[in-house]
Amino acid sequence: MHLTGLDLLFWAAGFLENLGLLFVLWYRRRAKGFPFFTALITLVVIKTIVLYFVLHYGTKDWYFYTYWSLTVLDTALQLCVVYEIASRVFKPLDVWAEDVRASYAWLLGLSLCIAFGLTWLASPPARTWMQAFATRGNLFAAALQSELFVAMMALSIDARLPWKTHVAKIAQGLGAYSLLAVLIETGHSYFGVGRQLPAFLILSHVRMAAYLVCVNYWMINLWRDERPARIMTPEMREKMFTLQTLVEYDLQDLRSRKKL
Amino acid sequence: MNTHNVYFLIAIGIFVGALLLVAGYYYFQSRRRSSPANWEDLFAKLTWIDRNNIAEVALNLVDESGQPKAADDAGSMEPSQIWKLIGGLEGLEILERNSDVLIDLAFYVQQWYPEALAIAERLRLDARELKWHVARLKGAAQKGNLQVSFPFYAQRAVVSYYRMTRRLLSLYEAGNLSMLADLQRAL
Repeated sequence: MHLTGLDLLFWAAGFLENLGLLFVLWYRRRAKGFPFFTALITLVVIKTIVLYFVLHYGTKDWYFYTYWSLTVLDTALQLCVVYEIASRVFKPLDVWAEDVRASYAWLLGLSLCIAFGLTWLASPPARTWMQAFATRGNLFAAALQSELFVAMMALSIDARLPWKTHVAKIAQGLGAYSLLAVLIETGHSYFGVGRQLPAFLILSHVRMAAYLVCVNYWMINLWRDERPARIMTPEMREKMFTLQTLVEYDLQDLRSRKKL
Repeated sequence: MNTHNVYFLIAIGIFVGALLLVAGYYYFQSRRRSSPANWEDLFAKLTWIDRNNIAEVALNLVDESGQPKAADDAGSMEPSQIWKLIGGLEGLEILERNSDVLIDLAFYVQQWYPEALAIAERLRLDARELKWHVARLKGAAQKGNLQVSFPFYAQRAVVSYYRMTRRLLSLYEAGNLSMLADLQRAL
């Protein structure tokens, strides 16, 4: 496979920036709070290294299967990140908020149906069934993710559930990227895939540039601290603890009554 | 371009357009809601209501701690009296709007004191309960059954609001916050 200077530049920049983001996640101790997001970025770094060596020392078939296997894993991890964000927003007290559970399940079902519908409508001009499957799969994943991010945003604002700064920044980056990915995958489904196609190359470069913007956005925002909490006096802490105990008892009572 | 591709591109256009519209609508709504930069701006969003009337209606059904009353005369208030004290459906709509402000006031504290999360969450659920009762009444009004449903749902909506105000005051009291006096006057 022939790579142009621009391809190599994007590849190197992507690799270095992902390493930088991993450094921020570990050094600023964000990794513990976002294990799936950290795993996703780690996978992207590993994917770049593995594909580099397979490209230089392996066969064309090896590259093809390695690329698509890692892409499937990448997509699965992206969906795990969606879950991670949802659980941060909709589980304020480590339990799914009672009032949003049904709406979230309903929106998830609707998102799956729409994503399936769009994938079914696509007819990518592919040479092999594997290419067609992969193109449709990417379109499905991008459509589903963008829907889920918008649904989460709408549902949380409607239910008045607040977003913590870091969760919001990860979601904004991934949401914007997946919406752009829908357009890119539409282009792939329309024009076809293959490095011999100029449209494919342009779309790939647009995707890489958008990803680099996202990584920079995450690096800057995850490096910054969230709004600092004030220190409570022992007396305040005691009063707050009493109040919290009463309210938690109320919440448990309310939940058990709803289960009856 | 074949017909299948045309359908596909139209579907994608509608899909992306709809997502952008929904995202834009909620983004601006959240900006509008969170726009008050300080506590005074948030507080100013509260609509004045007679707290004595609210307490009178609520305390007919629950005690001061918000627990259901065991006495025989609990829930004995006349529907016409409830209607007059809370100002009918318009009064309940004000409670509904105020409940959103009460949540914002609780989350304002929670931004600095993460320990207040449980209270803020409880207030949010109370507000959902209040809205549920008001929605039942609006539905009954459309069907012409308001007179029958009003005492039951309205009094429960007022109880939810009353509990919210007590919880918010306790939160500000526990936090020893300087804004407590203003809040006590308003609630």
